[in-house]
Amino acid sequence: MRPRTLLIGLDGATFSILDPLVREGVMPFLKDLLRSGTRAELTSVVPPLTPPAWSSLMTGRSPGNHGIFDFMRFESRPDSRYLRMVDSRDVSCETIWSIVTRHYLRATVLNFPLTYPAPRISGCVVPGWVPWRHLRLACHPSDLYDKLRALPEFNARELAMDMSLEGKALEGYHQLEDYEDLIKLHIRREQQWFNILRYLMREEPCELTAVLFDGVDKLQHFCWRFLDPELFPSSPSPMEVKTRDLCLQYFRTIDRFLAEIIASGGHDATTILASDHGFGATTEVFHLNAWLHQQGYLNWNDQRQLEQEHTETLGIQTMARRFYELDWDRTFAYCPTPSGNGIYFSLPKHTGGAEQDYETFRQQVMASLLGFTDPATGAPVVTRVWTREEAFAGKHTAFAPDLTLSLRDGGFVSILPSDVVLKPRPEPSGTHRPQGIFVAAGPGIRRGASAAPLSILDVAPTLLYTLGLPVPENFEGSVPQQIFEPSYMKAHPVSQGAATRSETGVEHSAMAMDVNTEAEVIKQLKALGYME
Amino acid sequence: MRTIDKESVMANVLTLFAELARDWEYSGEISPETFLFADLGFESIDAVVLASHVQDHYQRQFPFPELLAELGRRQVKDIRVGELVDFIHSHLDDGSR
Repeated sequence: MRPRTLLIGLDGATFSILDPLVREGVMPFLKDLLRSGTRAELTSVVPPLTPPAWSSLMTGRSPGNHGIFDFMRFESRPDSRYLRMVDSRDVSCETIWSIVTRHYLRATVLNFPLTYPAPRISGCVVPGWVPWRHLRLACHPSDLYDKLRALPEFNARELAMDMSLEGKALEGYHQLEDYEDLIKLHIRREQQWFNILRYLMREEPCELTAVLFDGVDKLQHFCWRFLDPELFPSSPSPMEVKTRDLCLQYFRTIDRFLAEIIASGGHDATTILASDHGFGATTEVFHLNAWLHQQGYLNWNDQRQLEQEHTETLGIQTMARRFYELDWDRTFAYCPTPSGNGIYFSLPKHTGGAEQDYETFRQQVMASLLGFTDPATGAPVVTRVWTREEAFAGKHTAFAPDLTLSLRDGGFVSILPSDVVLKPRPEPSGTHRPQGIFVAAGPGIRRGASAAPLSILDVAPTLLYTLGLPVPENFEGSVPQQIFEPSYMKAHPVSQGAATRSETGVEHSAMAMDVNTEAEVIKQLKALGYME
Repeated sequence: MRTIDKESVMANVLTLFAELARDWEYSGEISPETFLFADLGFESIDAVVLASHVQDHYQRQFPFPELLAELGRRQVKDIRVGELVDFIHSHLDDGSR
């Protein structure tokens, strides 16, 4: 019998939340899983963000090589600038799903980002981040959707992306009912994915079965203050108690799904639980473009006139503001998205067309960023700035942000104009941290062990190793020997295989967005937790 | 010389909508007069994915951003199926790739 492996993704999961939940008895199955396997922190990529991080997990390659840096890709052309949503065609490295297929194995892949359009693998794919109206044509194989539709309680709107359900986040969460709606939606959504997974494990069993539960990330963005034991008040209000209870109900549900999935996989299957990044609190907002404006690197057009012009743009009301507001003739550095903390340069215009000393300009901006301090305390706000060569080394370096920064609270920057560059948040929210989770259990894996931190790049080679497949020589991570019993490693040495096949994803036909649509997508990112 | 006539594009687009709309809360007939946003309930993200389907079908890129920008300048911010077909057909042999 061929080895079988389960990959269960928990988007944004962090031990700082899961460990207390295990201790409190909320996740008894996870407690058993930790006892029967090995745990480690899983260090994400820069930036620790869903698209680049899951792409690295799926390809074993870093963002500079697979080409995914953010939810959107910025492209500058002589006469225009575009932001467009990235999709599977932008992932320019071979994925583990494709590698598995090449070795005549099958894979089930559910709800992972950057899997739309679905790869034509041997197995089943239901991509994540797909609008529900398009889910039918997004599934692979083509007859899969009708099988899923026949499942009891199947609801495409709750399974896939539906902004009418998620958009409520834009209005803010103030009442118990707001949080209740959000949390219950995600419990129902995870139930939908679980139902599909259970069905496919039974009817279309595969050697590699992978599912991503992404509500963890969304709950943590909006409900962090109810989840983080350090922030939850010692004398909570009834609303705070009820909201925390609802959050715990979500995690109890996840725990039950873990138990059922792993039981269905059988005792001889390997289980790997992983997150793309961790989580922590964010307490302030750094208006990066406003700061760039103050430094003279960025300028906006007349805002009042622009608001008047664009209040009725296609479906987005006043959200279509950002690119319209920039004066490109006087903008030399700007942050195009609220999710990547990246700064792009627009240097030719900075010098009126003359050759610019790129490195001098970059060092100047970096020094200014690192020198920015909290006016109230004098403490630095930007803790690190990466050049694109540092953060995104590889064949896609030239398309990456010129600079990527980390903030002292780990938060995402705001791209909006503001007179005040640094503002406290009314209440702490959740935001990403580099340290995610890794838990492995199964044949040959040490029991009850805690390993040194791993890289998210180690997950792909580990998955292939557990399936008995060679590890491609151009993978950037490795099989972490410390999680396996020495006798098992000796009996099953890691075999290195040929380099992965290159994908032709860069020359894709994905549609560039105009400013209106791009602003709508930014609105959706806000709804998904990337707040400004 | 065009290799694909307009009737063929209309048939392709209507087939695509018919396939997708099986799962939508829209029971009416989809015709050249149907509005994408007002009638079918599209959001902008749906338009992006629809464009992706169209580009996949014809194995080429179309200047959809121009179409959306033009829509943004209209009094009624919407587009009929027939206009979408006109747009696709008009760019099928204009060298957009």
